[in-house]
Amino acid sequence: MNKKFDRFSGVAFLLIGIIFLIESQKISDSAYGSSVGPKIFPMGLGIILIALSIRLLYETFKYKTEESKEEKLQYKKFLIIFGSAVLYAFFLEKIGYVVSTFLFLLIAFQTMERGKTVTSVIIAGVFSFGIYYLFSELLGGSLPGFPLF
Amino acid sequence: MDTLQFLADGFGVAFQWHNILFAFVGVVIGTAVGVLPGIGPMSGVALLIPVTATITSGMPTGAAAASSIILLAGVYYGAMYGGSTTSILLNTPGESSSVVTTLDGYQMARQGRAGAALAISAIGSFCAGIVSLIGLVLLAEPLSNVAIKFGPAEYFSLMLLGLAAVSGLAGKSMTKALIMTVFGLMLGTIGIDAVSGIARFTYDQPILFSGLEFLTIAVGLFALGEVFKTILERDEESGAIAKIHRILPTKQDMKDSAVPIARGSLLGFFIGVLPGAGATLASFFSYMTEKKFSKNPDSFGKGNIAGVAGPESANNAASGGAMIPLLTLGIPGSGTTAILMGALIMYNIQPGPLLFDEHPEVAWGLIASMFIGNLMLLVLNMPLVRLFAKIIQTPKKYLIPIIVAISFFGVYAVQYTTFDLYLLLGCGVLGYLLSKNDYPVAPLVLALVLGPMIENNMRRALTISNGDFSIFVTKPLSLVFIIAAVAWLLVPLLLKLRGRKVIINEEG
Repeated sequence: MNKKFDRFSGVAFLLIGIIFLIESQKISDSAYGSSVGPKIFPMGLGIILIALSIRLLYETFKYKTEESKEEKLQYKKFLIIFGSAVLYAFFLEKIGYVVSTFLFLLIAFQTMERGKTVTSVIIAGVFSFGIYYLFSELLGGSLPGFPLF
Repeated sequence: MDTLQFLADGFGVAFQWHNILFAFVGVVIGTAVGVLPGIGPMSGVALLIPVTATITSGMPTGAAAASSIILLAGVYYGAMYGGSTTSILLNTPGESSSVVTTLDGYQMARQGRAGAALAISAIGSFCAGIVSLIGLVLLAEPLSNVAIKFGPAEYFSLMLLGLAAVSGLAGKSMTKALIMTVFGLMLGTIGIDAVSGIARFTYDQPILFSGLEFLTIAVGLFALGEVFKTILERDEESGAIAKIHRILPTKQDMKDSAVPIARGSLLGFFIGVLPGAGATLASFFSYMTEKKFSKNPDSFGKGNIAGVAGPESANNAASGGAMIPLLTLGIPGSGTTAILMGALIMYNIQPGPLLFDEHPEVAWGLIASMFIGNLMLLVLNMPLVRLFAKIIQTPKKYLIPIIVAISFFGVYAVQYTTFDLYLLLGCGVLGYLLSKNDYPVAPLVLALVLGPMIENNMRRALTISNGDFSIFVTKPLSLVFIIAAVAWLLVPLLLKLRGRKVIINEEG
């Protein structure tokens, strides 16, 4: 158990609960023919979440933090892959599915483990072009295929 | 006789050539998902929803739903078969319900009996699959006939029971599980309210009007969450894979495992029917039972074949049993069944008592295809087990980025918005952080699926009673469900207070 994370998330969920409760008050409660409007359910959820997150915060004061082994997380690798995934999403409609997928896969393969460039290129190419061909040509789906110049 | 007629019609659906193909693809992918460490049945099914949705896009709704659910359910029970392979050969469970199998399975492999262990687990899984299907056939009609008499109040309470059951047993802290449940329900309220047509929490963003897409959230939380975990925490490369010498078990092996298979199948089935108690619990209970009934309990953990046969049968029977509340009541009892339910809802098909009347081709087609699928799995897992064992060696280097690309493709092909891709990535990070810190994500997904239904039933019930909340406790059946829900949450707490160790279910 990670006390720091639990405290942080306890506060975060508390805030979410409070915001939810306040925001639900803005929902109009008129719904004709019914005495229960669209407001009741979110309002109730907000209250329950507030109660639960207070309970969670209270719990973090009770247990002792277990000796957690220092893990070495591979932030660099993760950030490169995550960043290129964000760019992949951003460019997908702009430069088309095949090119963006190919580039993403190539970067991600090489980030996971350097080397074997030829294999990486082949796998990335077969995947991106194969999926596009199968989906758009054979199944008639629509994907932004190639960059429009 | 009606049931037999329906079953025959179901086989008619299941034997259509494309559905046979779908079942086959499902069980093959399912086995692979089970074998690959890191991808569990939940993320496997979630990843394939968009793929099946696009493949079936040209078919009429009913047939498309039947075909998709045949494939997705195939992945689900296929993963239960495949999970044992890595447990036995590598001492690493492919999915959480195969944890127990490592105890005796790996020991058997070290003694050179890997083939026998794999064969027995395939045979046990097959028997269990058939047992749970017979149970499904027998119970489906009567249960849905009872459920059809439910009013909104009963439904509301029943769904609360479903949520309570999954939250009460999931993860290490019930507070966290409940927070996840409530958070999931909250996410479900985003969008235009179905009853009044009023937009809630949308802040005039058109993209939010239809609500957050279940599929994006499920794929993000499960599949990408796992992917990010693998990238960040480099798993130790496991040791050598045990060699498989002969595949067929000896006569003595068969004799030793016949009774455990029978016991495991029945036990697993009944545990599976209970909401919240999933396959992991079933296999664990079965192991304890076998140890208790055994003449020499000391041999367990040293390669006793009963310790493989019982639990492997139990976890398969449980996954069959879990289909019962899903199909007849519309209440998924686990994370994976919640995802299956979400898939059906995507096709505008509401699981529940009316399913058997309105869409018999989906319900019975699925049941019949499970007979066929189990048979395929037996064939696949006996002679081809060596081939599947090779999948373990797939380099993560290629696997991980391809999973990201598949989830991108799937989400985009269904939603056509880049907003969902960003949401997907966000959910991936959230999924990793949450499950790393023991916040179970399965209740969140379950709540997201059930949320709108819970709210609608609540409001319908309250409209009938003119806003009087006592309607939920004055209706006898509804009261029973509420008491059961409260008990489900309180009993483990009380047991804990009295110093008893409570078994927790770490699977979704």
